[in-house]
Amino acid sequence: MSGVYEGLTVIELADRRNQWAGKLLSDGGARVMQIEPIDGSPGRWTGPFVQDKPDADNCLDYWFNNTGKQSVALDLACKPAQDVLRHLLARADVFLESTAPGTLANMQLDYASVAGNKGLIYASLTDFGQDGPWHDFQMNDAAHLALGGAMASTGYSDATVTPIGGKGNQAWHMGCAFVLHAITVALFDRMTSGEGQYIDVAIHDACAIGTEGAVPHWMYFGETMYRQTGMHAAPRRLPPLELPTRDGKYVMAINQAFSKRSWDALLDWMDEKGVTGELRDPKFQEESVRTAEYRQGNLIRDAIRRLIAVSDAEECFRRAQTAGISWAMIRAAEENYDLPHYKQRDYWRSIEHPQIGRAIPYPRGPFACDALQIEPRGRAPHLGEHTRHVLTHDLGLNEQEIAALTAAGAIK
Amino acid sequence: MNKAATHHPTKPAAHNAAHLQQGVLSGIRVLDFTWKTVGPWAPRLLTHYGAEVIHVERAGGWDDHRFAAHRSLTTDAPEPNHVQGEKQLYTDPYFNTLHHGKLAISLNTRHPEGIKIVERLITKCDAIVENFSAEVFPNWGLTWERIHQLNPRMIYMSSSGFGHTGEWKGYRSFGPTAAAQSGLSLASGLPGQPPAGWGYSYLDVMGGWMGGLALMQGLLHVKKTGKGLYIDYSVTEGAMSMVGTYMLDYQVNGRRTRRPDFPPGNRAVFPQVAPHNTYRCAGNDRVGQHWWVFIACETQAQFEALCALMHQPGLALDPKFTTNEARVAYQDELDAIIGRWTRARRRYDIMRQCQAAGIIAAVVQSAEDRVEYDPQLQHREIFPIIDHPDLGECPYEGYPPKLSRTPAFVHGRAPTLAEHNQYVYGKLLGMSETEIDGLRERGVI
Repeated sequence: MSGVYEGLTVIELADRRNQWAGKLLSDGGARVMQIEPIDGSPGRWTGPFVQDKPDADNCLDYWFNNTGKQSVALDLACKPAQDVLRHLLARADVFLESTAPGTLANMQLDYASVAGNKGLIYASLTDFGQDGPWHDFQMNDAAHLALGGAMASTGYSDATVTPIGGKGNQAWHMGCAFVLHAITVALFDRMTSGEGQYIDVAIHDACAIGTEGAVPHWMYFGETMYRQTGMHAAPRRLPPLELPTRDGKYVMAINQAFSKRSWDALLDWMDEKGVTGELRDPKFQEESVRTAEYRQGNLIRDAIRRLIAVSDAEECFRRAQTAGISWAMIRAAEENYDLPHYKQRDYWRSIEHPQIGRAIPYPRGPFACDALQIEPRGRAPHLGEHTRHVLTHDLGLNEQEIAALTAAGAIK
Repeated sequence: MNKAATHHPTKPAAHNAAHLQQGVLSGIRVLDFTWKTVGPWAPRLLTHYGAEVIHVERAGGWDDHRFAAHRSLTTDAPEPNHVQGEKQLYTDPYFNTLHHGKLAISLNTRHPEGIKIVERLITKCDAIVENFSAEVFPNWGLTWERIHQLNPRMIYMSSSGFGHTGEWKGYRSFGPTAAAQSGLSLASGLPGQPPAGWGYSYLDVMGGWMGGLALMQGLLHVKKTGKGLYIDYSVTEGAMSMVGTYMLDYQVNGRRTRRPDFPPGNRAVFPQVAPHNTYRCAGNDRVGQHWWVFIACETQAQFEALCALMHQPGLALDPKFTTNEARVAYQDELDAIIGRWTRARRRYDIMRQCQAAGIIAAVVQSAEDRVEYDPQLQHREIFPIIDHPDLGECPYEGYPPKLSRTPAFVHGRAPTLAEHNQYVYGKLLGMSETEIDGLRERGVI
C-alpha cells in the first residue's frame, strides 16, 4: 500500500474532536498509534453500538473514525505511562492531541519538552486554541455550531423557530480540515528544512470563518442573514427552493438559469404533467426574459413547484439533471449504497469485521486519486490491541518491564 | 471591530506579484479556473502560505461572484458592472473574501490562441484547478494526458459535484446539491419538519477546505516523488465521507436516517444526553429572529450545577430527572423548564453563568456577534483589518491554523478584473507590449 502519508508515524491522543483527522492520516498510509485511556477513548462510548449493546470494541462511530489505526492503552495519570508516551514521541513524525491547554505541560509532554525530536510536528486541535478569554469554556460539537455561527444561518424561514445545528460532528470536521492543512504543509516544509513545528488550531476559529457570505455581508454592509428553510441564509427573503415531491420527499430545486436545451426539456415535462401554465408564451423563448422572470417573478417558480409536487423525487433528479438543470434529491446517507454511480466510481471499500463475522462497505474517502490513495486500510482497533506489540517492537521493552507496567495499572 | 488585529502595512496598488508575502509555499504557482464558491476556496487556501494563485476569468466577462455584487465596495452603486471611473473593482463582498491574495487575469479560452496561452501557463505552474462541468476541459483539449504531457510534475484537480467518471459525471451541482445528495441535508432539522439543510452553505465552504487539503497533499506528493497527479474531487463523495457513521449504523443495525425521529433538532443522537438543546432568550436580532442559547449537560455534575443555577436544586432529585436516562425520556418536560428560565434572560449572561459553573453553553452567534463582540475571536485575530490604498481599511476572514515555524498569513483584498495581465503575460510568459496589445485587439485577453 502506498499513500501520501506513507512512511509516517503518527501518535494520536484519543479524543472525539481529532479522531477524524487521525483517520485521514491513517487512510493516507501513515501508521497511526492512538493512545487511549485504559477504559478506552471517549469515542468508543458514544454509540451507536452493534445491536445497540454498549461495548468498547463495538461502537460504530468509533469504527468509522478510526480505520486502520493501532490502539495503545495507557493511563496517563501514571508517570510510567507518561514515559511510554515520551519515548514514542521521541521517534514520531506527527503528534495529534486535543487536551485542555496546560494538561500536557503538567506532564512535561508539551511541545517545548519533547522538541528534542527536531522533526516532530506537534499539532493541537482544541475548542478555542491555546489562549484567549474563552479557552477553558466547556463545549461539544453542537455548541460550536451555535457559537461559531453555523446555527444562526441554518433552520427555518419562520423567525420564531429555533436555529438548527446539523448532525454528524461537522464542527469537529471543520477543525480537522484545518489541522490537516497545517500538518501537510509542515510535512512539505520539513522535507527541506528537516524541522518540525508546533501547530495550534481552534475549532471555534474554523467555524467562525465557515459561514459563507454571512460575515462579509455583515462586515461590508451591516446586513443580517435570514434563516430560510433548507437553503442558503441570505440578507433578504428568497422564494423556497426545497420543494415537496409526490412521494413525500424533497427536491432541492437550485438552478441559476435555463439554457434553451434545459428550458425545452422542462416545458415538455411540464406539458406531460399538465402544469405548464403560461410558460409556453413565446416571450420566454428569450433566455434573458425567462432568467429575469425566474429571478424576480413567480410564474416559473410556481410552475416548478407544481411540477415537483406531481413528480417523484428520483424522477425530478434524473430528468432535471439530464436536461442540464442542477436539481438534487434530498437523500438519506444510507440510500447512496444503492446508486450505480458510486459503484461505477469504485467508491466503497470493504472492511472485514470479525466482531460481526462479515465485511462492511465504507466510504472510500474524499478524493478519487490513485497517487494520494486516501482510503480506509483496515478496521478500527480493539481497545489496547497493539499495546504489547508497540511496547515490545517499538520501544524494546522486555516481558518483565511490560509486566511491571501492567501491575502498576499503567497499560492495558 | 478589532483594530488591534491590523498587522499588515499599507502597500501600493499591485500590478505584479511583488506584493505577495513570502511563505512556505512561495515559488508554488497555481492556475485557477474556478468560479462560484466551493472551487475558489481550494486554491485560495494556498495563498495563506505564499503560493501565487492566478485566477483566470473569461475575457469580456467576469467571475459571477463579481457580477452578483449587490453594490460595489467603493461606490455603493447598485450594479458594479455599471460603475464608471478609475475604481472599477467589480468586487462583491464575498468575492473579495473568497479570492483575497490571488492574482487575476482575463483570457478568452474560446479563442485558439487562448488555449495556446493556457498550455504555456501550464508549463509555468505547479497545479491547475477547475470546477467546470466535466466536458469543459476536454473540449478545450485539456485532458489529464495532455496536461501531464505538457508538465509531468503538474497537479490537476477537477472539483465537481459528482466526479468526472460514472453515469452522473455530466450532472450539475452547487453546494446545496451536494449536501442534499450526500445525506447531509437530511441530517439537519426538526422531526416531522422539512430538512433544515446547511444554510451557510456548509459544503460550499467545507468542500473547498477539503479541496485545499487535496492540493496541499498533491504538493507533498510531487515534492516526494517528482510525479504529477490527477485528483478527481467529487464534493458529494467528500460529504458522504463525513456521514460514515450513519452508513455503518445502516449496514450493521439496519437503522436508517430516513426515520420519523431523525434528525431530532438540536437534541443529541449519540450519545443520548439531556438536556441538549437550544433555548429562547430575551430579545431578537436585527431582522426579528429570536435570540437563542445552546445548553447541554453531558455529566451528572453539570446537570446538578444547572439545577442550582436555575435555583431549582430539587429538580435533580425528581425521579424524572435524576439520571441521564430518565432525563432523555422526559426531555420535553425538562426542555420546557429550562426554556422558562432562559426566556427572560440575556443570552450572554446565561452563557457566562453556565460556563462559570462548568456547564456546556453557547450563544447562537450571528455574524455581527462574532465580528463585533466575540472576545475570543478578537484575541485570536480571526477577522484581521488590512489596509489597502483603494479600499481603505477592510476586515477579512482570517486563516485559522497557527504554525510556529512557517506561519500562515492573510494578504488582503481580491484582485480587480484582469489586474495582473501585464505581470502574467509580460513577465511570466515574456511577451512584449506589442504582443500583448495584439492579443487584446484580437479579443484573446
